[in-house]
Amino acid sequence: MEEGSVSSPVLRRIGRKTNPLLAPLSTLSEIRKNRFLVRNLVRREVRGRYRNAGLGYAWAIIEPALLALVYWFLFIMLSGNPDELYAVWVLIGVIVWSCFSKSLNAATNSLSRNVRTIHLVYFPRSIFPVSGVGANIVVTLMSCMIILPIIYIYDMPITVHMIWIPVGVLMAGFMALGLGMMMAPLNCVNGDVEHLIRFITRAGFFVSPVMWTAEMALERGAWGEAALWNPMVVPITMVRHGLEGKAVELPDGIVMASILVSITLYLIGTMVFSRYERGAVKYL
Amino acid sequence: MTKTAIRLNDISLHFPKQRNPLAIVLDFIKKNDRKFTALKNVNIEINQGEVVGIIGRNGSGKSTLLRVISGIYPPDAGEVHAAGDISLLAGLGTGFSGHQTGRENALLYGSILGHNEDEMREKLDEIIDFSELGDFIDEPLRTYSAGMKARLGLAVASAIHPHILLIDEVLGVGDPNFKEKSKEKILSMVKGASTVVIVSHSFGLMTDICDRVILLHHGEVMHDGPPQESIKKYYEIAGE
Repeated sequence: MEEGSVSSPVLRRIGRKTNPLLAPLSTLSEIRKNRFLVRNLVRREVRGRYRNAGLGYAWAIIEPALLALVYWFLFIMLSGNPDELYAVWVLIGVIVWSCFSKSLNAATNSLSRNVRTIHLVYFPRSIFPVSGVGANIVVTLMSCMIILPIIYIYDMPITVHMIWIPVGVLMAGFMALGLGMMMAPLNCVNGDVEHLIRFITRAGFFVSPVMWTAEMALERGAWGEAALWNPMVVPITMVRHGLEGKAVELPDGIVMASILVSITLYLIGTMVFSRYERGAVKYL
Repeated sequence: MTKTAIRLNDISLHFPKQRNPLAIVLDFIKKNDRKFTALKNVNIEINQGEVVGIIGRNGSGKSTLLRVISGIYPPDAGEVHAAGDISLLAGLGTGFSGHQTGRENALLYGSILGHNEDEMREKLDEIIDFSELGDFIDEPLRTYSAGMKARLGLAVASAIHPHILLIDEVLGVGDPNFKEKSKEKILSMVKGASTVVIVSHSFGLMTDICDRVILLHHGEVMHDGPPQESIKKYYEIAGE
């Protein structure tokens, strides 16, 4: 057929090593170029998660709501009488924290879980962690729908600050992406990484403001203030304060520090990923 | 005038054997070299328009060679050059999801194979037509039989028209009826693509369609010549 001969293609090098320092930018252009693929992979993941459930996507809301109920009960048992909105703050903590922990898991396991695809087709491998995290962000945004009845029940004002709700969710996912991309190649080589990640997500649950809030920490003196430097404090508090109708109110420097941590994680994560991904897939 | 489509310059590829991090460190210190060499100093030049077969015993590095050409494994030594888009046809239906409809899976698989949205929308009708799934196309994939999945996979895969087509043992999927049709389709893809590299165990087919056949043995090129010659050599080493 004539198709091939119309434009005579030129020889190019296959499998060239790219400069890892450019990875933070090239990852962005890879996502842009493959956005249709990313969208399809995200859809596959989201669909797959609620496949056989009669309640389907409603589980995106039910699961965090039930969890929040349990933590709320636990808190009443431990310390008695919290304020009326405490259950709401826990619910939001649970939602944002699971966005982070599930995204981190998805990104870390993105290469090892897609062995079959990796062995059969080639496309930029950064697509795997990105679409894994993307799927969790989508699910989290669906979970955030629970905010609507809360606004109605507690008669909360609808303000422009609600924009911080999705921003907080995105920030949590973004941090998980950086950290997960750092771990993904190592996870192909060695199973220890998975255990380490499991520990991070379990321990992180308690040291992050899931069951407590930034306001509660500030009443606890120096230790409480130190706890606020945890980078996950900002995204969770962002969503809470956004719902309350205000921008994030935290002591000076904490928001900036958290943003810097996210960006640094992304920079290091993409560099590590692009440097080691090619070698790592040989272990699969 | 012939132009080069694929050039493999002194390609070597090793697979690591050791998983334990402590052992990796110890090996590094003791300069132990524990790896499995899948390809060793492979030099191949394929011209545009050629149909080249690759044969060899199991584990001789045939599939690995295709993966190196397609970019899945970057070589540890040597350089690979290729001209134009490459598409590897191996295991039809990579990434299929049972919870989505045939139509959605066609879009998914198409995007995995490197199509963008416009191309897929444009080709979708043709794909559905070829798959002969009829109304089933809007049913979830888990309700499909193995043959139906294979049909959908082939329909999507054959919608690509790459400059270089790499085929890894995908002939003969599905039920006997479809087998004929799929073979026909793949042969027409072979004719449509300008350059083809095909890995297969069906020597009859190789003799029919290949201009030359390369025999791989333990990751090295043992013979490179007309189909009959290479197949003869294969039986010589297979008898060892």
